[in-house]
Amino acid sequence: MTHPTSALDDIIHQRVRLGILAVLSESRRADFGYLKEVLEVTAGNLSQHLAILEDAGHIQITKGIEDKRSRTWITVTRKGRAALASEVSTMRALLEGIATAQRA
Amino acid sequence: MNLDEARETLAFSEYARKRARDDMRRPWLALVLLASLSVVSLSLTDAATSPLGLFWAFAGPLGAGAIALYAYRRNRSSGIDSSPLAYVAITVGLLILAYTAGKIGFAFGVPVIARFGPAFVVAAGYLALAWIERSWMVAAISFALLAVTAAVIGFDLSSQQSKALLFALYGITLLAVGFSMRVGRKQVL
Repeated sequence: MTHPTSALDDIIHQRVRLGILAVLSESRRADFGYLKEVLEVTAGNLSQHLAILEDAGHIQITKGIEDKRSRTWITVTRKGRAALASEVSTMRALLEGIATAQRA
Repeated sequence: MNLDEARETLAFSEYARKRARDDMRRPWLALVLLASLSVVSLSLTDAATSPLGLFWAFAGPLGAGAIALYAYRRNRSSGIDSSPLAYVAITVGLLILAYTAGKIGFAFGVPVIARFGPAFVVAAGYLALAWIERSWMVAAISFALLAVTAAVIGFDLSSQQSKALLFALYGITLLAVGFSMRVGRKQVL
């Protein structure tokens, strides 16, 4: 029998990375500045988290020029959406299990 | 796994999700409300057969177009891009249901349903939308539309009085969604 925490995904089981996927799962796409502001992280920190998620195939990053300024749009992939749903339900189940055990 | 950390991580992702939804939905909610209200006003005031009908006939599409343009521009500048498809589908669905309610009233020879059915259907749709979106504003507009419809029936209001009430409701809705978008814009920028 495996421990319930083994179902957690090491890549997205992290506050900022889960937040990135949560924002992207609600939208068609979000830009770098928006994610930085909502998640309250520095540009460098956000870049690192985005790179990890992109390497894992959870997000896609598109860079371009709009209105004479560079713009970085990020979209969630199908794999990222599924990983987020799985992670959130696993965490909820774990927390409920712990709460039930504590009440017993 | 640290329990508090897990709880905090989950809460943070919920906050991020809610924030994104709030930032995106406001203009599209305005689209649903104003477009459907202007069409329902036609049935409640018999304005379809009067020159005033022109106001409602143009207010809906023009208002919807202006809101869609605003939403598109705001999405691009704020950095979060949403798809309006779900809200356009809700608007079209509400209008089809309202039209069907009116037709059923005519088919069964029940003039009250033919005239007021569309408003009740749209108000019920707003309530469902308010529940889904957790929006007090939409719920308040739903109850206001129900109250206006009940007043038109209960007090047998004249066409002029009905028009005045509906103009007031349209104006209040316009102000409410405008204020809501203004608040949202301040949060994003």
